[in-house]
Formats: sequence, structure tokens, C-alpha cells
Amino acid sequence: MSIPALRIAGLHKAFGKPVITGLDLTVGAGQLYALLGPNGAGKTTTLRMAVGLTEPDQGSIEIFGVDARAQPQDAKAITAWLPDEPMLYDKLTPAEYLGFVAGLWRIPPGQAAPEAERLLRWLELWEVRDTRCEGFSRGMQQKVALAGALIHDPRLLILDEPLTGLDAAMARSVKDALRAAVDQGKTVIVTTHILEVAERLADRIGIIAGGRLLAEGTLEELRTLAGSEDMSLEDTFIRLTSRP
Amino acid sequence: MIGWAMRRLPPGSLGWLTLHELRGNLRNAGRSRVGQVVGALFLLGYTGLGIGLGLLLQGVRWQADPLAWLVVLVATILLFTFMTTQSLLASQRTLFEAGDLDLLFSAPLDPRTVVSAKLLGIAGGVMLTFSIFLLPILGPVAVLGHPELLGALALLVALALVAACLGLGATLLLARTLGPRAARTLGQILAALTGASVFLATQILNQQGERRESGTVLLFEALHTRGFGSGPLSSLPGRAAFGEPLAIVLLLGGGCLLFAATGWAMRNAFLRSYRAGGMRPAGNRAAKGGIARHFHRGLFAAIFAKELRLLLRDPALLFQLLLRIVYLAPIVLIAFRDGRSLPLAPTLAFTSVVIAGQLVSSLAWLAASAEDAPDLLKVAPVDKDDLDFAKLMAAMALAAPLGMLLPLAIAMETIPGALITLLFTAGAGGAVGYLEVAHAQPAPRSTFQRRQKGGGIIRSLVEFVIALLLGLAAGVLVYFV
Repeated sequence: MSIPALRIAGLHKAFGKPVITGLDLTVGAGQLYALLGPNGAGKTTTLRMAVGLTEPDQGSIEIFGVDARAQPQDAKAITAWLPDEPMLYDKLTPAEYLGFVAGLWRIPPGQAAPEAERLLRWLELWEVRDTRCEGFSRGMQQKVALAGALIHDPRLLILDEPLTGLDAAMARSVKDALRAAVDQGKTVIVTTHILEVAERLADRIGIIAGGRLLAEGTLEELRTLAGSEDMSLEDTFIRLTSRP
Repeated sequence: MIGWAMRRLPPGSLGWLTLHELRGNLRNAGRSRVGQVVGALFLLGYTGLGIGLGLLLQGVRWQADPLAWLVVLVATILLFTFMTTQSLLASQRTLFEAGDLDLLFSAPLDPRTVVSAKLLGIAGGVMLTFSIFLLPILGPVAVLGHPELLGALALLVALALVAACLGLGATLLLARTLGPRAARTLGQILAALTGASVFLATQILNQQGERRESGTVLLFEALHTRGFGSGPLSSLPGRAAFGEPLAIVLLLGGGCLLFAATGWAMRNAFLRSYRAGGMRPAGNRAAKGGIARHFHRGLFAAIFAKELRLLLRDPALLFQLLLRIVYLAPIVLIAFRDGRSLPLAPTLAFTSVVIAGQLVSSLAWLAASAEDAPDLLKVAPVDKDDLDFAKLMAAMALAAPLGMLLPLAIAMETIPGALITLLFTAGAGGAVGYLEVAHAQPAPRSTFQRRQKGGGIIRSLVEFVIALLLGLAAGVLVYFV
């Protein structure tokens, strides 16, 4: 059996009141995994703990078998994080931004520069590579951040609400980019409020509420769990999350 | 209290919108709970001082004369300079940073009312700031037997109105002629220059001749000998401040009229600019060539390139940074003025170390505290100590070109002295930079000027003392070499 891309066990976190309460979650390698849940369910907190931005109170996190709490740098080296607010510098251009990110991940310039050019062309940013990000639309900023996330060739890509605020065309190109990343063998974990995205894109879906995993599986498996084979994901989601 | 007043006014009215602006101004001051308590205690003590002064002056009768009017004139010039600076910055915030214009203009309100409220908000904000300094003293003295001093409040209002017109007018003019982006930068530089102009003028005056009087005293004397303060126009602020009804009516009425007229004119200019394409700065640059030049080997190179670009692309910030060094000018000027009594090389050594401390501290704050994407650095596979070290080195490298200047100048006189100075300059930069990086607290770059708020003030003091001690040590060593 292959090593899971992400394995979370017994995760606890409280900010005054408990937010994550004994969460267990395993995401297999090479999947596009959608993490769904109502507002305040703990999705973002879980992912922030996975990438080392928030310290868990208890529990273990492994990324491709690397203990992310004991060896954070080894885990970070193979992970990319893309939050809903892109982590950009307004006054840097996309090319400069990628140069900086490559420096942080210590990618040799000879390897990083061609990869950056490929990403900029692929994400249709090549023509604006020397324009400062401050004038970009949200969608373009999100694409620059996505290029930054991909420049170090991560094995695991974690995205928090990557489609928020994007227009249809931009959302489509980001979705295509994510699917392409999975096709290249990467693992993608994404949180989203847009259930259609999870329905169409995800290989597996996890539903989180009240700080723990309520249900997990393929769309069909979730429908079976919810008790009806022909329900939409929206109905399935509402039925599962409204159970006492 | 503002909320209470707003509830009593018709929503959407000019008064209601103006109070909303003032509330925003007050909240932008952004004090923590502890800061509010300290501020309230300070205000209480300050008012107590005013009451004490009021009781002391209760029986005293005075006759305002040309000398007193001149004092008020000088104070008015200083006050007006600071008010114009504040109003320039407030106009910048209103036009380029507030981000609420779309909301206000999309509401079913007369756009002219919105712009008038913005203008009144700028004037009100300026007034509030300076009232905090004047009212606790003036109020009790006026109530306890000198009601004529309430004229000073009228003077304050008139000055604030004119300063608001000037600030917004200059900002709009710059936006119209240079475009929003350049207007923003130039406006910030202009504000910094206006603020520093009084300081620089007094410092330059300080260096005149052999006399020991301060620049302010010399300015006062120069104005006095030229008859300022006694003429009909130059005595007007003084007469108003001491309660002469005609002077109050002239100044306050003139201020209100000017405010109304320029407000009306600017309101239209503002609306035209906004409707023509908004006031948000934007820039575009054609792409050219490859991108390999942006990729560097190693963490330090990546951090240094980023920090250098961010600094060079923010001229206003760069200017504020250089201005901090200008504020240290008196130390250098002392070296030249008292060249006969103070040896040049040790004084320059001392100056070099103190300036390096100030410069590296500012740059390290920008690199560490004012990091735009802290989460990006946290998710990168980089040890925090390595990152901090790279940031400290980047700050020192950015300061190096300026830090080398004075040691080079000393080298003309003494090579060992220059080496000692270089060593202590680097040492001071390293020490204060380390403190700044090690105690970094996330803050936006735009708060550079206010970075010493809260806990930062103690750190800044410690850093200054360290630089001062190292500077003294360098000076003494260079003296004996």
C-alpha cells in the first residue's frame, strides 16, 4: 500500500473553545480531495495545521510519511499552500515573485527559471511577467500565487477556497490547472464552498463539521451514506451535516 | 459620543456623514486597550496641569502686546505647518486608501454631500488632533478667569479649515497633473518635507554664527526686527487668540469662507476625477526579455533582492527613511560648527555609528515586521533563525552604502580611526538590527512612521542607547588613535 499524501490522527485544536476535536483524516497520493463543511467547521484550521502555520494542541500530521510536527522543514519542502488571500507582494512582478519563492525553497536558478517561464506561459501570465502585481485582478493574483505554489514542484498542494472571487473563465483555468497537477501525479487537497467543484473535480470528498470528520468517500459512497443514490452533492451535504 | 450624536442626526445628512468620517479618523488612530487607558490617564493629568495653571493665573491681568502677538504668530506658523502635513496625509488616505468611496457613491446620496463630508472630516480630524494638545490647558485657563483665550480655539478652527483646503487641493492638483499613482507618492513626500521643514529651518538657523540661541529664538528675533506681529495682518492671529472679536470674526469668517469656496470648487474637481476613472493607483509595464535575472542562488540573495526592490519601489517610504537621517543632522552640524573645540574625526565616528543604528533599525523593521507575506515565509522549508539572519544581513547590506560614507571621510584624516569607525558602525547596525528582527511584530509597511507605538517605543529607546554608547566608544577610541 502506498504512503498517504496526508495522514492526520487525533488532531485537537482550541482557540478558547474547541475548534478541532479529534480529527482523523487520510488522503491518498495522487488524488484530488475536496474538504467540505459549513462555515466554522474547522476546514481552514485543519489545513493551516497541516502546513505548519498553526500549532495543534494534540495529534499527529504526516505528509508522505514525514512527521510534519517533528520535521517541519522536510514536510514543507514537498508541500505547497495556497490560501484564499494570495500571499503576494504588491510591488513585485510575477517573475520577481517566482524568483523569490524559488529562493525560499532553495531551487537552483538554472532549474527554477525555465520552470517559472513554463508556469507563466501555462497560466497565461507571460505577457505581464514584468508588471507589478498591485494592478492585477483577483484572478490574476490567484494565478501568480498558484505559479508560486507550483514552482518548487510540490508533491502535495493544499488550497483553501482557491476559486473565491474568480470569474467563470478564471475559475475554469484554475480548475484545469488543479486537474492537470493531479494528472502529473501530485496530490491536491482543496476546500470549497462551491459544491459543483467538488462534485465535478474531486476523486474523494471529506465532510467536516464541528471539528471532526463526519463522512468521507467518493460521491457515490457519500450518497449511499446519506441514504439516497440519486441525490445531488448539495442535498447529500445538507443531509449529512444536519444529522444530530 | 460620536455614535450618540449620529443617532440624533438624519442618516445620510452632511452632519451624519461628517461624524462618520470623524469616527473613522479616531479609530484609525488604532490604540490598544492599554494605550487608551494610558492616553486617558495622560489626558487627565494634562487637564490637571491646565486647572493648576488656570488657578495660578486666576487673578493675573494681562494686556496683549505686539510681543505676545508675535509669539502667537510664530506658534501659528508652526501649527499651520503641522496641520498642513496632517491634512495632506489625511487627503491621501481619503482619496487613495479609504476604499469606501464606491460604497458612498453607490448609496442614494447627493455625491456633493459625500465629498463635502469627506472634506469636513479632514478638517475635523486635524482639529481634533490639535485640540487634544490645546484644550486641556486652554479650557481650564479660560474658564477660570480668562475667557478671552477662547479666541485661540477660533484660531485653531480657522487654521484647520485652511489646512484642510490646502491638503486636499494639493492632492487633487497632483492627481490631475501627474496621475493618481505619482500624486500619491509625491503627496507623501510633500507631507514628509512639510513636516521636516520647520525642523530643518531651525537647525540651519542654529548653525548661524557663534551665538548659542536656538533656531526658534533666532526665527522669533528675525521676525521681531522686521516688524512682524505688530502689523495689521501679522498681528491678526495674536489678536484673535487673545479674544479680540473683530480679529476672531475676520479669521474664522475668512477660514469658513475659504473652506466653503474651495470646498465647492474641489468637490466638483474631485467628482470629475473619480468619475473619469477612479482614484486607485495602477501601473502597467510592458514585458521584455527573459526572467533568469530574477532567480538567485541562496536565501540571502533572494531576501536581499526582494527587500531592495520593495524599498526602491516605494519612494515615499524611502524618503521617510532618509528623513529620519536628516533628523539626526544636528549631530553632524555640531561637528562642523564647533570644529575648533570638538575634534572632527571622533565626532564623525560618533555620528556614523548613531546614523547606522537608526538606518539599520528602520530597514530591519521593514524586512522583519513589515513583511507583506509572513505566511509564505512560514510555509517555506527555511529555519526561522536562518531567515532572521538573512533579513538582518539584507538590512545591513542595504544600509552599507550610506554607512561607508563617514568612515571614508575619516580615512582622509586617520586610517586606523576609519577602521575603528567602520567596525563600530557595523557593530551598532548588527546589534540594533538583531533586536529589531528578533522582536518583530507583524505590521503593515504603511505604519512605518508610527512603528514606535506600544512596545516599539521601549525597543527603539534601547536601540538608540546602544547606538549612542557604541558611538561614544567609537568617538573616544578614534580620539586616542
